Amino acid sequence: MHHKFLSIVAFFAVLPVSAACFAQAGDAKSDPAATAIVKAFEDRLNLEGLDVTNTFNLVQKKEGETDRVLQVKVFRRDSADTFTLIFQYPESEKGKGYYRKGDDLFLYLPSTREFAYRNRKDDVGGSDIRTDMFGKSNLEDQYRLSLAGRATVSKWDCDVVRLEARQLDVSFPIQKWFVRKTDGLPVKVENYSASETLLRTIYYIDYRKLSGDRFIFTKLLAVDALEKGQKTLLTNDGIETGAIPNYVFTKAYLEEQSR
Amino acid sequence: MNAFIAFAFKNVFRQKKRSVTLGINYTIVTLILALLLAFSAGAKFNIESNLVLSTAGHITISGQYVEKGRIYSGIKRTGDIESIVLKTLPGSSILVRYRINSSLYYKGLSKRLSFVGIDAKSETGFRGQMNFVSGSWEEFASDPNGVILPKETADYYGIASGDEAVISTRSRFGAFNTGTLHIRGIYRTDNFFFGGLVLGHFDFFRNLDLAASDASSTIYVYLPSTAGLSGKRALLLEALGKAGFVVSTPKTDADAIDAVAAASTTYRLDAKGHDRLELTLATIDEVTGIVRTLLAAVDGVGGLVAAIMLFIIAVSIMINLRMTINERLREIGTMRAMGMRAGGVTGLFMLENGFLALIFSLIGVLLALVVVALFSFAITLPSGGNLGLFLEAGHLVLIPEAGSLALIVSVIVSFSVLFSWFPARRAGRISPVEAFNDVF
Repeated sequence: MHHKFLSIVAFFAVLPVSAACFAQAGDAKSDPAATAIVKAFEDRLNLEGLDVTNTFNLVQKKEGETDRVLQVKVFRRDSADTFTLIFQYPESEKGKGYYRKGDDLFLYLPSTREFAYRNRKDDVGGSDIRTDMFGKSNLEDQYRLSLAGRATVSKWDCDVVRLEARQLDVSFPIQKWFVRKTDGLPVKVENYSASETLLRTIYYIDYRKLSGDRFIFTKLLAVDALEKGQKTLLTNDGIETGAIPNYVFTKAYLEEQSR
Repeated sequence: MNAFIAFAFKNVFRQKKRSVTLGINYTIVTLILALLLAFSAGAKFNIESNLVLSTAGHITISGQYVEKGRIYSGIKRTGDIESIVLKTLPGSSILVRYRINSSLYYKGLSKRLSFVGIDAKSETGFRGQMNFVSGSWEEFASDPNGVILPKETADYYGIASGDEAVISTRSRFGAFNTGTLHIRGIYRTDNFFFGGLVLGHFDFFRNLDLAASDASSTIYVYLPSTAGLSGKRALLLEALGKAGFVVSTPKTDADAIDAVAAASTTYRLDAKGHDRLELTLATIDEVTGIVRTLLAAVDGVGGLVAAIMLFIIAVSIMINLRMTINERLREIGTMRAMGMRAGGVTGLFMLENGFLALIFSLIGVLLALVVVALFSFAITLPSGGNLGLFLEAGHLVLIPEAGSLALIVSVIVSFSVLFSWFPARRAGRISPVEAFNDVF
């Protein structure tokens, strides 16, 4: 009886309430202290003024299965809020790619030679890595930010910032960012569903300093909370900051690369 | 005249060996055609009735809506649509469904499954077709987080009634949402069309998808009679159009199937630039259009086989009758000497062959009925795979229609009479003198 009562509460309360929360979050203002923390790391991680070319190597580990390896070449221009991703490995994925311009993300499938419109936070090749990790971020636009205390991650003291989606056009309506006090860079991110179930935890293991006070992560680990034992390790190699020709940031470039 | 007919009938059995040899061909052709048509009729009936009992209505309403430049699959203003249907088509009944494709997680295992949200109180489609391995409909109906799983899915997870599992879905807006499901039943079914579906509560899945309170995936309309279905649909199209919906009908059979199988997906971009509610109304005839095309092809192949066999029979008739006429020259001469006209002799031989075809094609019909009975009551086939489409409770659904059987017999008898005319006409032309002195 007690169990049944809890089920009914879970159903009639949690889901509608969580949807209602997002409606509220849409209007509510962020906590200035939380906003300052987020703006600080975004200023360091958004690479405006730089063209960045790099190669991500993703190794997806799943219990009882052989490791899955993906290699993706990334062309990024944050000043224009755009990036192009091209799959290079394995052969089965080669030629596939993403093109993002602002809020619009398109997946190019060489098999059909067509572009499919995707959520801007699509996962990459079925891994725990999402395309929003590759470009410019503007969390304040999408989330209401609030401070959620402090925590220690590994050996670092961190501020915890809670993010609640202003609109439901985001993959994770609730997030918690753990930002280390030493340099203001995030070291851990917890992603939650609308009903606040933990879906994934990302650990930013290492960063590389680019020109000025700009950073790019070089190693991260994404741990799936629902698929027990599923992890994706991402390493970022071959980072260059030379100018990228404009035509790379077009759909035509993706089509051309698959030929 | 009666004596003439009786004489012709008696002659069928004069050369038993020859008659049986030819007759077996008639029997086989009849058997093949009767079974093929019974299969087609059975498949059409089975598919339609199973669809109507699970994933389609006599008229299925699906749709998409456009808001702020984005196209979302599904229906809005569900209540308004229901009212319009009941007002336009009095006596009809309605089932509303919410479909999503999501991953179910249980003890480290996950799988993407098709979920259908139903109203357990008013559901009439699924309920009567489920054999519960464990749990019950009542347990499911009383738990808002309850689901009923197919046995195969339960076996994959090793999950039992009473267990809890997590569902995670990417909602129509792109945001992930999760929920806890309670397994309240595990079922088996012979209905091919919902064998893999996980049944849950409409409100649960709509909320999980973060959809509006007036949203749904599909509305099934059931009519007291399906006569004039297109006309009834036209009335509904007009009424819904007047209420502000952009209405259409499926352009192809594939569109009709898509409409029935529509599940919530994330949005797409709209190019038209204005908000609107679009509805597609598919009739059950359109939904089964591809099946009917397929069955027509099966019938076509059967018809070709039968045509080849009939050609062989035609040659056999010619040879057989020619030999018979040779052997019965004196009889022909006697009949002609007694005053029988040429047409009478020709008619006698044609009638004999007509009787032969009638007797053996009727035997073919009887054999077909025996085979149908065997498949309907004695022979059980495995319901897994695509064969399940044609099975009811493990038995192949064969419906021998009286009209089809009568048509087959008529065609074969007419064919036999037609092809016996050529040699029979020559027999009629033999004069008595030639008949007694010559070999034809």
